[in-house]
Amino acid sequence: MTTLIARRLVALVAVLFGLAVIVFVLQAVIPADPARAMVGASASPQVVAAKRHQLGYDKPLPQRFVDFMGRLARGDLQDSLRTRNPVATDLGTFAPATLELALVAAAIAGAIGIALGLTLVAGGRAARWLRIVLIGGASVPTFLTGLLAILLFYSTLHLLPASGRLDDTLAMPDGPTKLLLIDSILHGDPNLFFSALKHIIMPAFTLALLPALAIARTLATSTQQVMREDYVRTARSKGLRERTVLLRHALRNAAGPALTMSGLQFGLLLGGIVVIEQVFAWPGLGLYLDQSIAYADFPAITGTTLLLGGAYVIVNFLVDLAQAWADPRIRTV
Amino acid sequence: MNHWRRIAVLTTLLAAIAVPIAGCGSSGTTAATSATGGSADTLRIPYLGDMSVPDPDIFYDIEGNSVILSSYEGLVKYAPGSSQIVGALATSWTVSPDRLTYTFHLRPGVHFHDGSALTAQAVKASFERRLAVNQAPAYMLKPIASMQTPDALTLVVRLKHPVNPFIDYMASSWGPKIIGPGALVTHGGSDHAQKYLQTHDDGTGPYELTAFERGRQYVLTRFGGYWGAKPKFRQVLLKITPDIGTQELELKNGGVDAILHSFPASELSSLPSNLRVDEYSSYLRLLLYVNTNKPPFNNPAVRKALASSIDMTQLVNEAYSGTATPSTGPYPPGLLPSQPALNYTPNAALAAAGPKAASTKSITLAYTADESGVQRRVGELLQARLQTAGWQVTVKEVQLPQVYGYITNLKSAPDLLLITNTPDAAHPDTWARILFYTTGGLNFFGFHDATLDKQLDQALGAPTAKATALYQQVGQRVIDSNSIFFLGDVKNVFVMNKKLTGVQQVPAYPWTVDLAALSSGGK
Repeated sequence: MTTLIARRLVALVAVLFGLAVIVFVLQAVIPADPARAMVGASASPQVVAAKRHQLGYDKPLPQRFVDFMGRLARGDLQDSLRTRNPVATDLGTFAPATLELALVAAAIAGAIGIALGLTLVAGGRAARWLRIVLIGGASVPTFLTGLLAILLFYSTLHLLPASGRLDDTLAMPDGPTKLLLIDSILHGDPNLFFSALKHIIMPAFTLALLPALAIARTLATSTQQVMREDYVRTARSKGLRERTVLLRHALRNAAGPALTMSGLQFGLLLGGIVVIEQVFAWPGLGLYLDQSIAYADFPAITGTTLLLGGAYVIVNFLVDLAQAWADPRIRTV
Repeated sequence: MNHWRRIAVLTTLLAAIAVPIAGCGSSGTTAATSATGGSADTLRIPYLGDMSVPDPDIFYDIEGNSVILSSYEGLVKYAPGSSQIVGALATSWTVSPDRLTYTFHLRPGVHFHDGSALTAQAVKASFERRLAVNQAPAYMLKPIASMQTPDALTLVVRLKHPVNPFIDYMASSWGPKIIGPGALVTHGGSDHAQKYLQTHDDGTGPYELTAFERGRQYVLTRFGGYWGAKPKFRQVLLKITPDIGTQELELKNGGVDAILHSFPASELSSLPSNLRVDEYSSYLRLLLYVNTNKPPFNNPAVRKALASSIDMTQLVNEAYSGTATPSTGPYPPGLLPSQPALNYTPNAALAAAGPKAASTKSITLAYTADESGVQRRVGELLQARLQTAGWQVTVKEVQLPQVYGYITNLKSAPDLLLITNTPDAAHPDTWARILFYTTGGLNFFGFHDATLDKQLDQALGAPTAKATALYQQVGQRVIDSNSIFFLGDVKNVFVMNKKLTGVQQVPAYPWTVDLAALSSGGK
């Protein structure tokens, strides 16, 4: 287990370094002028030059790279060119919304994935229809699902709000977690809780849909394979009920591929967040990143990329731990 | 296999729980809660993105104008629907015969949002602060040599040299706004209150900025001590909704009251009966920049042939669905008493001569990203026209910071660029200097004409008649150079609930209405 953790820590550092290099190269290659964008079109050449100097964009590329990596090593993400806040502060503002959305979406994806997977294992007419739905569902782009969901649940049925994280008349709680579903419970505020719940349902379900389908298909395949193993036949021959055989013996052994798929899907989920946050006006990192790209706000782009990349590595690390728990053979690797 | 069915049924039941949850809690935004549909004292307007900062000495974008213009005021402003300058915090002003001294007489009884009274000293401190912060809008005050405050309500500004657009700078939406001592003294710190003014305001406007939640919404609350007419709405919520499709649905369902820009023009004719479209002239203009620094358009003959490819009427009519008109001159309409006429006459034979004379037929046409998709549409239409003439055109979307970067490497910049721009104020100098001058900030391809630069320098301080003639000559030189094509004059298009009345707008303040003048059904 120690080796596993050590490997993952090394991978985390390597991934973050790689991402930092990629962001820097993009910044160097794209012929944008963030200094001019920051001070505006009417600024005099002197003001633009001064801003360029202040941001270090007038230095030779190797020197800029050394400065860039040095700052990152010190944990200095610089100030956002757009918001003028330290990027770390901005990430602290936007990350909780993304974290809450990702956690709820992951929970929904897991729950739906397992339920659909088991339904597929059960076979019968329901499973045949479900397969068609899965193939169809996996081919719909996330943004389209989001817009269709808004049309149905907001515009037609008036059941759920189309945008935001909270009713616009409600004040954001001060914390402590900045996750609204948790903070509203901690503050004993049911209005806040239900408002937050109503706002998160549609984006979370939309975001969860594709990962859920992938998890379901993987779980179904691996479970069907495991159900043909000798030890399952032995368990059945001992007279155990089919449900007990599945849940106690087969499912744990079939969980490995589904967990691996869950880790991979989390990466896709983070990618989908950028689109979903646009469509649902969800004030998270995706929204922050999109606005930063339009402004060539490279410090903000770098900070967001590193945070999302780090989250991806950490989640996959947790998946590895879960796999080690599910399959003791992995612990010895 | 009954247990499998039970699992499936349980799953369905779990999913079904989500629906009743949607019905719990507060009334929420699922139904109409806007000013015109629900709580009548709150106005809801969406923004496509966050504004940079609500600091009037730093802010230099368009999205966010409503926040600045509602919470701050300048000494003068433009009257609704016109370019006529009227008093705001100054009741009157005089200009010395040598056009170097401006004397502003301030309005008595005006208070800042922190409660302190407006004084000439506060105006002077605000001007000094803008110069000290030295961001983009500071250029408007750079010509000032000195300021005096002979009494509490009089400010005398002495310029280094005559600057014709100076009073227009004062009326610009990005012009100097007066900030109170509550911000500049109490919260001044070591950064001239820049940190404080990222989330607060201390102006004299009809609304106070009471919440600035980046990524979510900005809340403007009626200022009880406002000197002018009391705003009808107690509160204005400016909601960050980055998808125009979502904005549309919220408008149609009463979640917001008005969309002030980027509404898809093609959908204006099929709006539901509870909405209406208000169109007003603006100074927004669709431009086609030509990269004259490399083949094929470094050849004047090829550029002339390019002019024959442009069918402004077709471009504007097909892309804008009536929300723009073909341009008639190099300046936005109304900025000059008369201006030279454009001579873009479609002619297939002349247009075909361009690619024949060019060293390369392969060209790149870039357009800046816009949410409504109208510039992409214009780009596609232009692409079709140019390909008919014999060009091989690659169209690509770019972001504004990329466009600013072209000047650093003009050889790798695209051959053509479509972009919409607006002048800072209703004065020809604020258009010509930024677009046509060699070092102009919006002269993206570095077009250079030494004579033109000289004429603009002369016009800046020349008597009115001579200045007008010089601006006309500058305009003619630009037309003759075929380095920028003026395609369309774009209107301010506001789509709003029919019950919303009292719309007042100014052509020089794009995407903005006077929020304090709006009301729901006249109440």
